[in-house]
Amino acid sequence: MVKTTVVGSYPRIGDAFEEQALRRGLARLDRGEITEADLRAVERDTVKTVLKEQNEAGIDLVTDGQISWYDSQSHIAGKLASIEINGLVRYFDTNTYYRQPVVRGAVSRKGPLIVDEWKFAQGSSKALVKAVLTGPVTLASLSLDKHYGNKKALAGDLSSAIGEEVGDLVKAGASHIQIDEPILTQRPADLSLVSESLDRIRGHKAKATLTLFTFFGDVARIYQDLQDVPADILGLDLVQGAATWPVLAKHGSSKPLVLGVIDARNTKEEDPVAVATKVSQLKSAVDLKTSYLSPSNGLEFLPRDRARRKLRILHEAARVVGVAA
Amino acid sequence: MTALLTTSVGSFPKPEYLTRARTKAAKGELSSDALRDLEQKATSEWIRFQEEIGIDILVDGEQYRGDMATYFAENLGGTEISGLVRSYGNRYYKKPIVVGELRRRGPISVDWFSFAQSQTDRPVKGMITGPYTMMDWSFDEYYGSRTDACLAFAKLLHEEAVALEAAGAKYVQVDEPALSTRFDELPLLVKAVGIVTKGLRARTVLHTCYGNYNEIFDYFNKLPVDQLDLEMSNSGLDLLERFKREPLKKEIAFGVVDVHSHVIEPEALIRERIEKALTIFQPDKLFIDPDCGLKTRSVDEARDKLRNMVAATHAVRQAHGLT
Repeated sequence: MVKTTVVGSYPRIGDAFEEQALRRGLARLDRGEITEADLRAVERDTVKTVLKEQNEAGIDLVTDGQISWYDSQSHIAGKLASIEINGLVRYFDTNTYYRQPVVRGAVSRKGPLIVDEWKFAQGSSKALVKAVLTGPVTLASLSLDKHYGNKKALAGDLSSAIGEEVGDLVKAGASHIQIDEPILTQRPADLSLVSESLDRIRGHKAKATLTLFTFFGDVARIYQDLQDVPADILGLDLVQGAATWPVLAKHGSSKPLVLGVIDARNTKEEDPVAVATKVSQLKSAVDLKTSYLSPSNGLEFLPRDRARRKLRILHEAARVVGVAA
Repeated sequence: MTALLTTSVGSFPKPEYLTRARTKAAKGELSSDALRDLEQKATSEWIRFQEEIGIDILVDGEQYRGDMATYFAENLGGTEISGLVRSYGNRYYKKPIVVGELRRRGPISVDWFSFAQSQTDRPVKGMITGPYTMMDWSFDEYYGSRTDACLAFAKLLHEEAVALEAAGAKYVQVDEPALSTRFDELPLLVKAVGIVTKGLRARTVLHTCYGNYNEIFDYFNKLPVDQLDLEMSNSGLDLLERFKREPLKKEIAFGVVDVHSHVIEPEALIRERIEKALTIFQPDKLFIDPDCGLKTRSVDEARDKLRNMVAATHAVRQAHGLT
């Protein structure tokens, strides 16, 4: 009755020797022992494993785990014109770091960003693969702007670039596109910028389903306005953003939701029945048939073995919601 | 007047023989006793080096630690260690998991402090990974509340601080690299560090790095320690102007070399940085050290950076007639 999906990233390595090929590959590339092409092959093998783990856990809508992404910002921004990639900066409140994009001139798209990655992943997966892109407003907020002098203008050009990418993804066959805007949980006032940005992107999506995902906190204060953004589905972090729950329960949702109910930042395992019970309480407020359950954010903050267990809990919780219905 | 005392933040790189030994020990090919002998050898070498170049307040170099949070967690009851989690790039670390009520089973870093102090007549700092960082860098399967987990760590780390003082530590440093993670939790950090340092007669130091200092500036004077140890050169010394307007009421250990750069800062550049610091801080309240732990540098790079730092400090002392 309710489907399952993930948010994006997945742990690149595990603790077993055979799960660490990518780490060894990167180290060997650094030492000049293998070529970039050799490393791409290792990345693709890792993507296959990540897809297999999601497929085996029974996840309905999967991702490539963002295995080849150095981080959520530089992987996208680094391929755009007039952007350089600088030193490490803490990524929100996580103990991980991204390489900061520095905007030196007018930003535009020189070529595809993730189209090839998506095509490979879809060709290697039984389940539908969602194409995930970092949102223009988050990119603009986490970059160092040395050119535009205002975030709206920068976000505007980034939106055009991301929009073009969405167009090419759809042409390549992608039916589900997700735009991540975690910045909304930190700066709710950016909602109008996100809305404008999605308006531009939406023009390129044709019949594909467009999801806006927010994570690393709640969106309680802007929840009702979020219902009006030009996206088909809203993704919500309901763990770190637990404060969104009561507003969601009270006002319901006119759009299908991705309910981020499994904690992707803590190893503690949820009781699937308790999760299902809580989700079932939303059944009169939200159309669960068109909605999804998911982790609260990308799974890469967990060790691989724990991420696998979280996927199984997620699938089981969705199954119990279905049985209860 | 003692002025411009030199010190270090904590970690030094491990010599190659120790790195190899740790790999062997992890595979079970080397006994823990044999590994400890090599850790002691490396510690002694770093103590001798610090004495030779004339550093005033020494550190043990943390040759026995892998990750700073995991090392403390491994020595506490109520914890497990997770599988590998990515930090950035191709760097991974194992995180503590709090699975039960935290307990201090015994001394954590005291034996290493005592060993290092026995090698020198100069003061060696006692080093504690702070309660807020321990909480923020751990998974919590037990407390279910960041506040509760943080304060539980704080109580145990206070016991460790008292034990370090009893073992002779004249300086106790609390490392809080996670300090600037969530600005709304700064009151919690102040409370937790206050628990750790309560009643200590030793001089207390708080080290933090790589944060948005402007956002946390208002808390600097509220931190319950005698001295703040700040990374200053990586952030371009841009905090100095603010310190001019809003004076720090504590001692400051002022980072003058960038620990993430292979470049060995020349003595003249470091002198300039110290001179700038002297326009704001009184020489008896100003300590000179690297931005952060030097463990990510090579042994040679770390030694060269420290040598230039000490030489520059001595030159500035002489120029100002300070002893």
